[in-house]
Amino acid sequence: MFQNRAEALALALPAALFAAAVFIVPVVILLSDGFRAPGGGWTISAYTDFFSSSLNQAVFLRTLKLGALVTIVAAVIGYAAAFAIVSLEPGAKGKVTGLIVLPLMISPVARTYAWIVILGRTGIVNQAFQALGISEAPLRILFSETAIFIGLLQLFLPLMIISLISALENMPKDAIPAARVLGANWFQVFWKVILPLTKEGVVIGGTLVFTGCLTAYITPAILGGSKVLMLETLLYQQVSVSNNFVAASVIALILIVMSFAANILLKRVATARNKTTRNTKGTA
Amino acid sequence: MMARNLFIPITLGLVIAFLIGPFLIIVAASFSAGETLAFPPQGFSLRWIAKVFTVESFRDSFFMSLFLAIGGTLAALILGIPASYALSRYKLPGAETIRTIVSAPIIVPGIIVGLSLLRYIVVPFQVGITLALFLAHTALILPYAVRVVSASLGNLRSDIEEAAVLLGSSRLGAFFRVVLPNIRGGIMSAFILGFVTSFNQVPVSLFLSGPGVRTLPVDMIAYMEIVFDPSVAALSALLAFMSIGIVFIAERFLGFSRYV
Amino acid sequence: MSDQNFLTLENLTLAYGDTVAVKDLNLTIGKGELVAFLGPSGCGKTTTMRAIAGLLSPASGHVKLDGVDITRVSANKRNVGLMFQSYALFPHLSVYENVAFGLRLKKTPAAELDKRVRAGITSVGLTDYADRKPAELSGGQQQRVALARSMVMEPKVLLLDEPLSNLDARLRLDMRSELQRVQKETGVTMIFVTHDQGEALSLADRIVVMKRGAIEQIGSPEDIYNRPTSAFVADFVGFENIFELSDGRLKTPKGLVEISGPVPIAAGLAWRPRMVTLGSGPFQGAVRGASFAGNSREYLLDTPLGPIKAEVDAALPSHELGAELAFDLPVAAAAQLRKFG
Repeated sequence: MFQNRAEALALALPAALFAAAVFIVPVVILLSDGFRAPGGGWTISAYTDFFSSSLNQAVFLRTLKLGALVTIVAAVIGYAAAFAIVSLEPGAKGKVTGLIVLPLMISPVARTYAWIVILGRTGIVNQAFQALGISEAPLRILFSETAIFIGLLQLFLPLMIISLISALENMPKDAIPAARVLGANWFQVFWKVILPLTKEGVVIGGTLVFTGCLTAYITPAILGGSKVLMLETLLYQQVSVSNNFVAASVIALILIVMSFAANILLKRVATARNKTTRNTKGTA
Repeated sequence: MMARNLFIPITLGLVIAFLIGPFLIIVAASFSAGETLAFPPQGFSLRWIAKVFTVESFRDSFFMSLFLAIGGTLAALILGIPASYALSRYKLPGAETIRTIVSAPIIVPGIIVGLSLLRYIVVPFQVGITLALFLAHTALILPYAVRVVSASLGNLRSDIEEAAVLLGSSRLGAFFRVVLPNIRGGIMSAFILGFVTSFNQVPVSLFLSGPGVRTLPVDMIAYMEIVFDPSVAALSALLAFMSIGIVFIAERFLGFSRYV
Repeated sequence: MSDQNFLTLENLTLAYGDTVAVKDLNLTIGKGELVAFLGPSGCGKTTTMRAIAGLLSPASGHVKLDGVDITRVSANKRNVGLMFQSYALFPHLSVYENVAFGLRLKKTPAAELDKRVRAGITSVGLTDYADRKPAELSGGQQQRVALARSMVMEPKVLLLDEPLSNLDARLRLDMRSELQRVQKETGVTMIFVTHDQGEALSLADRIVVMKRGAIEQIGSPEDIYNRPTSAFVADFVGFENIFELSDGRLKTPKGLVEISGPVPIAAGLAWRPRMVTLGSGPFQGAVRGASFAGNSREYLLDTPLGPIKAEVDAALPSHELGAELAFDLPVAAAAQLRKFG
């Protein structure tokens, strides 16, 4: 460790000042706009206005719902996939992990665009449904919450799987067979051993997925269309269609607060589980 | 036990199909001979792949995106390498604050970054769109650059600089002679991660577009809203192969995944 | 079912994918026995143990325990205890909760659970550590938690994977007496796996020596130590001079060599270094290496029979490197091998 403070600041400050000037200051001003009263002074009326609109409420709740749903489903699929991957032979494990990571390198535009081909009126799903006689007329899957859900899940599932793979690999060797031999069925093995020992991984993965869902623009824009909005697409619409920068500022702060809140909440959940396990020994 | 033996291939088959399948469909659709985007493709032709290269806006926005990805990443590294070095090698008061400031752009939705830049830098200071995009992409890549270079510095023993200084090198000389050569892999990895992130980035660039100035993904979205032919599929496939190729080469020669 | 065949393995074949680890294994273990599976790594001993625990299902064959065929019973319903080599304690749970883990799953009433868990922890001498997390314990203490965790379940069979190999010499003695105490007090049937002949000899009632997925020899520690029946076992328990017999002569790198005395009908003969008579005898060898080991001295001789290792009392005068010595391989002392190679 070097001690020279001036030297250290000279090295670190350009980056910090750049980030502050280009990013932090403008964002903070943008966020403060939402609290500015028209005649000067401060107010939260923009926020009460925003939430009094039933359309905005619906968008807010949809964002929350889709974010939570995608996170939960990604965790469930993620555990199954990560568990399967870590039980592969080393060579196969590397290849499969590569296939899981691969989509992260592909442009989200391309990844989202594919779903139009699959979910559209004449898409593969509708072709299959009609051929199998499940539906007569083409179903409207595109431009719906379902389409956004599928798109977001595909976009962010790899992040969850990767977090869980490293969490599972860091689990003590033989913890699972030890639980089996002590009488745990597979459900109990998951609940009492795997989950508590991988909770950090699922919290990291969950935060990445949930934050990703909040900040994703392309997926709701392409798969939700102009009617099924999420907060990001609503923000874009407020600016580009209505020129309503105050509303944009309000949405921006809501998005930031939501991702921080999710982060804190998930960490809480993780430590809360820890506490209950510690308490049981006291009561026993 | 039989059930468990089937569990692994079935789970992985479904997950990989879900993750990779759509991309394969895009690739297949881009070879279609038909007028509209569809799967299974109608006939086989290379016309849409050829068309990608003739659309002028694609060409312009491709070079714009390429410039931003390379220029932005280089700028982020020029700012980020000294900062990472200071954060990992010096006892610096407020180190955590600096780290938070530098990594902040990663946690705030990109659309907000783009909008605030437009409102409070571009408009008041009359900054050109290209410069604004360059600043935005640099800010966006900076957190990745600092993270990857820091990780790579963390794996390097700090006493080698002291050894170099004791052998008569200046501090700056020690950095260039012994530190830099040893974190080259980390820097290359940061460059590739930054490049891919910037190239695929949409929300930040969304508001930062002017007449004739657009990044490629934004241009693709705009094109899709007007024309629904397989050329966007063809372009997507081409870009995807480009990204995969870069990452594959990086992994092959640098062990890219160690740093990310 | 009688106590003699409390646990039986019948024609057991175990495989990982296409790799056969254990082939057509038959073994009967009596109630209350303390059996060691001894062999080098890859001999199938741990695989067999995992199959008994139900962690690996056999490709073919049967496992029967206490008169019941448990081949298709899953691991969590067998009531077989397993102490892992890594101990496999749950790091997120206290010592108390680790020990209580299995009893909680069985929905044991709170009062009884507490009583049994505390008794289990006390019996391994960790009363004061009940609230600690595994990471706060030493390796030896962790292992005793693992032992208590298995024992509170009152398993029909307790399996131990290399129970002494991670411990230093002093703790090894402690754990050895601990296991003997547990076995004496509870009468539980114990099977432990080890690659260390010393461990097997000192602890087991009966030793099963395994080689490449099959049983090589079964016997008491004395049998295995003194009367190995194959070249493999002889080599494993320290017979350094091992020869194949052909028409009553020793097969050596330089051809067949006559040996004095009535040669038994066997596939081979083996001598421990200290069975070699040094200083007299029909053979000659040059000293190529010598080492001092406290009570004894070991010599490596270059001989027409190939290299021979001999061990003699350290009180006897020592020999220089290069010295020519006479020696004998007394047939009467040799272990007779029924199987060679």
